[in-house]
Amino acid sequence: MHIKRASVALIAALTIAACSGAAATPTPLPATPTPAPVVTPAPTPAPTATPVVTPAPTATPAATPTASPTPAASTAAPSPSASSTLKIGVVTDVGRVDDKNFNQFSFEGAKLGATDIGAAAPQVVVPNSADEYASDIQQYVSQSYDVIVTVGFNLYSATVAAALANPNIWFIGVDQSICVDATGKDDPTFACKGDPKTLLPHYIGISFEEDQAGYLAGIVAASISQSHIIGAIGGINLVPAVVRYIQGYQLGAMATDPTVSVKIGYVSKSDFTKAFADPAGGQTYATQFIQANKPDVLFQVAGSTGNGVLQAACTAGIDGIGVDVDQWGSLSAATDPTYGCIVTSAEKHLSNAVEASIQQISGGTAAGGNVEYNATNDGIGVSMEQDGKGLITPAIQTLLDTALAGMKAGSVTTCPTTCGQP
Amino acid sequence: MSVAQPPDRSLSGRIRAAWGIVALPLLSILLALIVGALVMILSAPIAGKPVDLGLPLTAYGALFQGSVGNFDAIIGTLRTTAPLLLAGLGIGLGFKAGLFNIGAQGQFLIGGIASIAFAQLVHDMDPLIAIPFALLGGILGGALWAFIPGVLKATRGAHEVVTTIMMNYIALSTLSYLASGPLKLPLSPQPVTAGVGNAALPILLGRDGHLGILIAFLVVPLVWFLLYRTTRGFEIRAVGANPDAARYAGMKPRRLIILTMSIAGGLAGLAGAGNILGVNHQMSASFSTTVGFDAITVALLGRSNPVGIVFASLLLGAMRAGAPLMQIEAGVPVELVDVVQAIILLFLVANAVLRRFFRLRGVSANLGTTETMTATYGSEAIR
Repeated sequence: MHIKRASVALIAALTIAACSGAAATPTPLPATPTPAPVVTPAPTPAPTATPVVTPAPTATPAATPTASPTPAASTAAPSPSASSTLKIGVVTDVGRVDDKNFNQFSFEGAKLGATDIGAAAPQVVVPNSADEYASDIQQYVSQSYDVIVTVGFNLYSATVAAALANPNIWFIGVDQSICVDATGKDDPTFACKGDPKTLLPHYIGISFEEDQAGYLAGIVAASISQSHIIGAIGGINLVPAVVRYIQGYQLGAMATDPTVSVKIGYVSKSDFTKAFADPAGGQTYATQFIQANKPDVLFQVAGSTGNGVLQAACTAGIDGIGVDVDQWGSLSAATDPTYGCIVTSAEKHLSNAVEASIQQISGGTAAGGNVEYNATNDGIGVSMEQDGKGLITPAIQTLLDTALAGMKAGSVTTCPTTCGQP
Repeated sequence: MSVAQPPDRSLSGRIRAAWGIVALPLLSILLALIVGALVMILSAPIAGKPVDLGLPLTAYGALFQGSVGNFDAIIGTLRTTAPLLLAGLGIGLGFKAGLFNIGAQGQFLIGGIASIAFAQLVHDMDPLIAIPFALLGGILGGALWAFIPGVLKATRGAHEVVTTIMMNYIALSTLSYLASGPLKLPLSPQPVTAGVGNAALPILLGRDGHLGILIAFLVVPLVWFLLYRTTRGFEIRAVGANPDAARYAGMKPRRLIILTMSIAGGLAGLAGAGNILGVNHQMSASFSTTVGFDAITVALLGRSNPVGIVFASLLLGAMRAGAPLMQIEAGVPVELVDVVQAIILLFLVANAVLRRFFRLRGVSANLGTTETMTATYGSEAIR
């Protein structure tokens, strides 16, 4: 009897241990932090247009905004034989480095930057919990690294503190906008009296105008929709970036087709794991969402939960729109029919941004402060259609180009006054 | 130690008794490190890297260097140890009473957010008032979070494994709600709470050595005293060993269950408060940690004994503290620490296999031993 009871508890213990491992760091697979094979830099001639490389010359009716080189390439222009002694380290957010999202593409950008300038391959630290951010950054400081990339808003306060304490080390904060008081400390009142350029001259805060990318996706969705009902599924309404994507999508769609009905849903309103790390949950949610709302185009803004959303869209036979990176490429839709319905993706050029910053640091042209990536500096865009269906017609492409030009000129509003607020 | 046989007071007898207790955990750790080394070597080809037989040495070397290699590293280890120690003590206490508290994770999170809520009330007062008040908030938050499953078990017989897991999810959502709603930093575009002001724990040693670490270690003798030197502690252990006999002897298992759960939750809540007030100073809605689950391994490895839990939490804390340097120096991902930890747990749980294989003698179960770690019971025992 005693043994029986104990064994029940033991099984519970094991299950829980397994589950806890899964929840925190999804797979105990000891794979080294090599990136998924998806984002190989360009040598493949196939149209797996990676978001990382500068947009391919646009012979096809590509939705990629511009064929001009990235600002990085033009400003720093390192010779391929350059060799740099810069030591580059990356601290990601909690999770895993091959998350096919923020962590992965920031690290990817750091690797590309290191290759460009001829530096040693960057190292990566994945924190185990939120209280590790500062000490993980400190590890690199103690090892006298020159460039430290911190990924995600959650690492912002730790990065500000580290940048203030180590004025000679370069910090690149992805998805971090710097707001400091006159002493260079993080400003909780958001008065932002201090000038980060002078107070923290070696801290580059990178942020993106996701609403512009969402706006372009909205144009595509409204244009290819037959039923005039389109949908968008976000991971959680608490993350401003997610909300901005969807607000832009809504505005872009309405501007293209005033009669269109935009249905919006959020997978979760409180649970970040469900919102961004639960493909099965995303699939279930999206299946119900499609049945209830009957959209014929579905945009996902939900990390890997969103991969499930795309699967549901493809299963239901409607069109899907990916997010952040070219998901046709990153999910290998060319060979995997479960993702075959991806028409395009609303991209933010995450890797480009990190790569560019590293090039600028190496080239001596870098400056601290906030760098906003948007249409004007090719920071956002939509990926070219690769499914061969020709849904994005030249007419739609013209709409996209016009919208991009309008964004550059500042004549197109892509976000409402409540930008980023649910 | 063992009461089953007359205690052997000679030196060799004591050594043998001590070996009987520590042999299994030590073997589990050693075997887990060996398996971890194999995993490192064998996974290299999968990741498309050349097989490097020296990699485990580099990796474990960096792990060692990063955890105890210098003064800062040691402080770092103590910092990661403190929450594991407190939450582990709580879970161990539950084991002693036959309760399998999986809810330390939720209790930790609620303790953290409660400490922020309390801290915001007193953020501009003197630290001498603000700090104890905020810590108390953490303890109360965690205790409340464990009190609920305790009551459910005592009055309805709902098994605590199920209810505490559920409470973990509710804790996550509660945290999201509070950090994006009532406790949100005004004007912030992100769902993050305001800071803790004067309730921030002072740094006593080095860069990271905050007051919470000292508090964590000071709690150890308190828990030990409670368990082994008070009537209540005896009752807790008696209920864990045999609830029917305990009730027959006039104890009140229901009350003891609620009490034990609440204390355990309070300890996990204190762990959360210590970490928030000492390290993070704020919480984002997506705050992420594994302390609550790691603490289960700590309690099992420490065999629910407060002293054992100190050593177990130091080991796991060192692995956590050393993991970043292991990633930097050896390029071995942090998941390896999870692998080693999981294998330790596996060997501990599959102890019959290890005992048979290494011919270890079992320690007979009774009130005096530390073996009551996984005896838990369902509703039938509480009437």
